Amino acid sequence: MSGLRVAVPKGAIFEDALHALGGAGLPVSVLRENGRRLIYESNGTEFIVSRPSDVPVFVEHGAADVGIVGKDVLEEQEPNVVELRDLGTGACRMILAAAAARAAEVEEAIDRAEVVRVATKFPRTARRYFEGRGRQAEVIALHGSIELAPLVGLSECIVDLTATGTTLRENDLVVLDEISTSTARVVANRGAYRLKNREVSRLLQAMSSEGAVRG
Amino acid sequence: MDRLPTRKFTTTPGTRDILPPESTRLLNVQDRVRERFRMFGFREVVTPALEYAEVLEEPKLRDASFKLFDPDNQMLLLRPEMTTPIARLAAQSLAGSPPPYRLSYALPVYRRSSVGHGQSAEFHQAGVEVVGSASSAEDAGTIALLVDVLHAFGLRAPDDFAVVLGQSAFYGGFLRHAAPEAAPHLISALAAKDLVRVDELARDLPSSIGEAVREIPRLVGPADDGSILDEAARYTAGDEAAAALLNLREILAHLDAYGRLGATILDLGLIGRRDYYTGAVYEVYASGLGFTVANGGRYDDLLHRFGKDLPATGFAISLERLISVLPHEQTAPLLVLVGESIEATRAANGLRSYGVPVLQLAEDASPEDASRYARSVGAGWVCYPAGPNSLKLTPSGPEGEFFVTTPEGAAGEVLR
Repeated sequence: MSGLRVAVPKGAIFEDALHALGGAGLPVSVLRENGRRLIYESNGTEFIVSRPSDVPVFVEHGAADVGIVGKDVLEEQEPNVVELRDLGTGACRMILAAAAARAAEVEEAIDRAEVVRVATKFPRTARRYFEGRGRQAEVIALHGSIELAPLVGLSECIVDLTATGTTLRENDLVVLDEISTSTARVVANRGAYRLKNREVSRLLQAMSSEGAVRG
Repeated sequence: MDRLPTRKFTTTPGTRDILPPESTRLLNVQDRVRERFRMFGFREVVTPALEYAEVLEEPKLRDASFKLFDPDNQMLLLRPEMTTPIARLAAQSLAGSPPPYRLSYALPVYRRSSVGHGQSAEFHQAGVEVVGSASSAEDAGTIALLVDVLHAFGLRAPDDFAVVLGQSAFYGGFLRHAAPEAAPHLISALAAKDLVRVDELARDLPSSIGEAVREIPRLVGPADDGSILDEAARYTAGDEAAAALLNLREILAHLDAYGRLGATILDLGLIGRRDYYTGAVYEVYASGLGFTVANGGRYDDLLHRFGKDLPATGFAISLERLISVLPHEQTAPLLVLVGESIEATRAANGLRSYGVPVLQLAEDASPEDASRYARSVGAGWVCYPAGPNSLKLTPSGPEGEFFVTTPEGAAGEVLR
């Protein structure tokens, strides 16, 4: 009986999120029922399942009280939410990569502050990275299959998220730089964090005792 | 080949036309807020929509402002908020009269918004500023006024809303005393509401300080049971933090005297969204709305920029957000009187003398057309003259049936 509405991301960190929430005593088993439902209710807790990049939107607007989302998404969107806990799971790296055959050439171009084209799902992160290095980039925003872009000449390099590097290797891409690392975070709506502080704190506490058990 | 012209006859992104009944609602809410402000001795001011860009220092607000250039090529901006313009006004135009100045406003403000974020570029704020008093009684007084306004609209704490109160000098003061080097990083992390980053930074500090650095921003709870302040007292170090804590206690004592303690939640991690806040800060949250309905706080250094050292405190209510959480209200009565004859004009005039708002539709409309028209203007009644001192009246709904009555009888029905 948490009385909270929790936003859970589909995809890579779905299982990690369920593990953390389940460990904290939330009835997450309903979420494993393979269905097309978008809202699940169990024992007074509501779960919504959405694309990872939409989780901060639901939480910021108060459509969900708390959510689980990767730090990469938070850094890209900078939503106005309270970031409460690092779950330490779902670790991955935000990297700059280029085709192996042209890697040296691209690196040199960046060093000379030439304008390079960067394909990415994370345009703000990419822009911030290049600005931070004092280098210039033309950012091309894509929604998927980022690895394709340098292979067909859409861009010279990519900024993307990788966990194991398998997709990069399979497409003959090499990492030029690591921009940041990311893990799954618990975020809360600003209002819910205050108005339902007892419920939110209880959830976080239950999660941390779970973390302690797992070491 | 002629091309179709691409015309832009819509409103610009983030702005909109506000039509009845929404516009009526907005103006009514504005009027009632003004009435509460007057009851607390605030006098209303109007400042220009345009300000010199230099007037605003807050980087986030400058970025969010619409900019334009005047004939001298000076950069101007459309006011993104009201606190700074009022600080400028108080420093510039009220220098001759004795402080404190208790000023209120109800005006639209403008911020650039990107499409898809569900935010408006033009929205209405109503607020007050008390300029020239450092008293905690003024902080408590403005909070009590804010609660009073929300009560006037039928909202009840803690079920419908809560005032979340913090003190930006408590955490800041503690850090400047106990961990001066890490302080700017920690305050930036907290301003971004990133408690994970706060924890990371705390790890590099000695354990007793680290614990306080982690725990202070997490002290959240009801103001009426005292436990939050007792815990805060355990972490207090340095004069600045001690003064801030004392200030919070004073504010709570005044709020208790106002009978508004139950509406307040303490949050020592709340340091305010603007850099100009120096003391008490507060935000109002309504249940079911993810955004703040109102926010305010103390800004003792802001007027220094305008050449006056006057401490100040105040708040702003976002009227659109307030309206979105208000219970639905019945619309004001209106009657459509049909006819262009002298008899119709006389009947309309007679009804108004009984206090009935009358819209005279000066054409010979059929009852069906008249009802449709009445519904389109939000009128609940349709009326035809029916001889001296006699009217045919019907509700404008589809089921309405005419009955004959006198002007006095009609007034009784419509105004019931």
